[in-house]
Amino acid sequence: MTLPTLHLPTLPRVLSRLTVTIPAWPFTPPTSRAFAFAANLAAWPSLRELDWSHVHGRHFCVQVSDIGLQFFFTLHAEGFRAERRSRADVTFTATSADFARLALRLEDPDTLFFNRKLLIEGDTDLGLTVKNMLDAVELETAAAKMPVGLGHLVLALRRLALKD
Amino acid sequence: MSNPALLELICPAGSLPALKTAVDNGADGVYLGLKDNTNARNFSGLNFDEKSLVEGIRYAQGKRRKVLMALNTYPQPATLSRWHKAVDTAASLGVDAIILADPGLMDYARKTHPQLRLHLSVQGSATSYEAVNFYRERFGIQRAVLPRVLSLAQVENVIDNTEVEIELFGFGGLCVMVEGRCLLSSYACGDSPNTFGACSPGHAVRWEQTPKGMETRLNGVLIDRYANNEKAGYPTLCKGRFEVQGETYYALEEPTSLNSMDMLPEMARLGIAAIKIEGRQRSPAYVAQVTQVWRAAIDAVKKNRETFKTQPAWQAALAKVSEGSMNTLGAYYRPWK
Amino acid sequence: MKLSLGPLLYYWSREDTLAFYEQAAKWPLDIVYLGETVCSRRHLLRLPDYLELAEKLSAAGKEVVLSSQTLIESESDLKALRKLITDGRFKVEANEWGAVRLLAEARLTFVAGPTLNAYNPDTLAMLAEMGATRWVPPVEMPREMIKDMLAALQPLPNSATWIETELFGYGRLPLAFSARCFTARHYNLQKDDCQFRCLDHPDGLVLTSREGEDFLAINGIQTQSAKVMSLAHRFDEFAAAGIDVLRLSPQARNMHRVVEIFRALAVGDIKPAQAPAQLDRFMPAAPCDGYWLGEAGMAFHPVNTPVTEGEPA
Repeated sequence: MTLPTLHLPTLPRVLSRLTVTIPAWPFTPPTSRAFAFAANLAAWPSLRELDWSHVHGRHFCVQVSDIGLQFFFTLHAEGFRAERRSRADVTFTATSADFARLALRLEDPDTLFFNRKLLIEGDTDLGLTVKNMLDAVELETAAAKMPVGLGHLVLALRRLALKD
Repeated sequence: MSNPALLELICPAGSLPALKTAVDNGADGVYLGLKDNTNARNFSGLNFDEKSLVEGIRYAQGKRRKVLMALNTYPQPATLSRWHKAVDTAASLGVDAIILADPGLMDYARKTHPQLRLHLSVQGSATSYEAVNFYRERFGIQRAVLPRVLSLAQVENVIDNTEVEIELFGFGGLCVMVEGRCLLSSYACGDSPNTFGACSPGHAVRWEQTPKGMETRLNGVLIDRYANNEKAGYPTLCKGRFEVQGETYYALEEPTSLNSMDMLPEMARLGIAAIKIEGRQRSPAYVAQVTQVWRAAIDAVKKNRETFKTQPAWQAALAKVSEGSMNTLGAYYRPWK
Repeated sequence: MKLSLGPLLYYWSREDTLAFYEQAAKWPLDIVYLGETVCSRRHLLRLPDYLELAEKLSAAGKEVVLSSQTLIESESDLKALRKLITDGRFKVEANEWGAVRLLAEARLTFVAGPTLNAYNPDTLAMLAEMGATRWVPPVEMPREMIKDMLAALQPLPNSATWIETELFGYGRLPLAFSARCFTARHYNLQKDDCQFRCLDHPDGLVLTSREGEDFLAINGIQTQSAKVMSLAHRFDEFAAAGIDVLRLSPQARNMHRVVEIFRALAVGDIKPAQAPAQLDRFMPAAPCDGYWLGEAGMAFHPVNTPVTEGEPA
């Protein structure tokens, strides 16, 4: 039996190019705004059914270490909201490639943690809550609720990576 | 009755996607728990509510796989009804077995749902056939999961002296202590697996990148500090680095995972009923990777015990997802002790 | 309130152990627990030695209980357990459920030890029905839970099955058991060739955090707290919680002083608030009482010091 090697050779560069262009958006703070906008578009439709009430108003920071970007946001009944880069209750740090692998369900967060590729600082319980809640969303279901084309793209990327 | 169970592959399901992943990748059964302290993986956001449980049971049983529900913490006086209700839920939804540690709860299950199959959890700390047979005689348990403290020769002695099926841990996070008899976590932070359902719960853990390295603290106690190139482990006390007589080292155990794959032929010979994969706290990606490897290995050993050889690709895949990226045979291999 | 001397958790030389119990016969104790509960490799005293000690202590007016091993791994462990039970002269403390099975089979009454994990009244009632006349709650069980346990146990159908409650009240807390020997590991020895290094550590081997905080103590396959659980300052809370017996766990030095202070508390010669100051110099480490209060076991809350007893510092 051969196992998929689970490499994502091209995605990180594509993704980092994509994210680096984001600061050009005419909002302040532009990166976090863009992040919240994209998250509301792509992820929120499948996440809104979950009970997020106990994380409402908590401040999150996603830190993409290889391209030096930070996204600050909160979560509310209506979705993601960008926040000023002030404080974060919990901060997730990883490279763009590793975040992409997590998002596509190609990698296990604990494995990344053991290998020092994922860091959760601040309120650990809040971090674990979010991690576990995201794990409980099926990628196929999430993809089906994404804007036309995006869902297909996500699933295709995952298949591609698994085949590689 | 069909043939006695032999090397069933029992995989962890912390969520519905993990359950489906386990089933799709060849698990014979999955084990899961509810979203509260009735099971020993009580982490925020993890586990099943009634809706996902119904769907999980439908999915697994639809593909002729088993669903085992862990109710393996110790009920406490003020909240006893929570455990009773959980047993009732398991029975009414038709899980294939419940995994229990507490004799009082077994008594309840036996009397209230006599048809419900009972497994003795590893949290029951039964390490001898006298203990296993106690649960058999008194509650009719059909399977026991043995703590990760016995050598295979000692496991054989248990098997020779009981009619209870024996399930062993095959892979995953390694409890160095006898399960059910470890209070290290509550000593440091107030919550232990026995009552709270988790060791080193998230609310007590802090990770911080400092100039000296990444620090892990449990309720303020520094458990470990990792240099930038060092692999990390779970924030459990048994895998921490401490100082003893001026020497700083992993005083109890290194961050490492149990991997007993090399012993599969011997386990087959002993008639081990099931191999359990640890890791309900982990994501579907882990479940997929580990289930595939173990499915292949168990199929191979069942085909021919004599010629079975662990494939390097299997070991590499398992090492990759292991705590500290290291594996040990643990107590199965006597010199480890 | 009865006072008991718990089983010796450490490994001392034969002479030291015998001398310790010779002294203990004279201490103001009601109950003495004897036997090896930690490691089957420890052999300086064997069952006949314990039985001889038991006879002596019994003659000195103590109730003697023989404690069984907590972790049973091999057939020889089981053999030792069966011998302990079949002797029948003294009550046995069962520390795992195999022992409970054998004791119930032999229709003997017994003490349900702390590692049986009786966390709820159903399990406790079952133990009582099987012959337990006394139970030791898990050492992490808080005061309020013990109260709840006993309150729920009241309507036992048969009043003959009443059960005494014995609280672990003093000593380094036994927190965990393993197949692995951490003392041997410390000396880079295998367990099967441990050279009995536990003998060098009569109160365990302290493990500190990398910030210098005393945290745990290694005692062979057992892991203990580095701090000493001490509930002396909370002595007046026991009656309301339903505690019948207070267990004092042996330490290498000054144990008689510790026993005397607790006896003085029991008879009212000293007040609980005065006890910590008196105990302090006889303790091998700082105190903790968190478990009793439902907190982290290592926490400590001294009760308010008394206004004044007119004693200079």
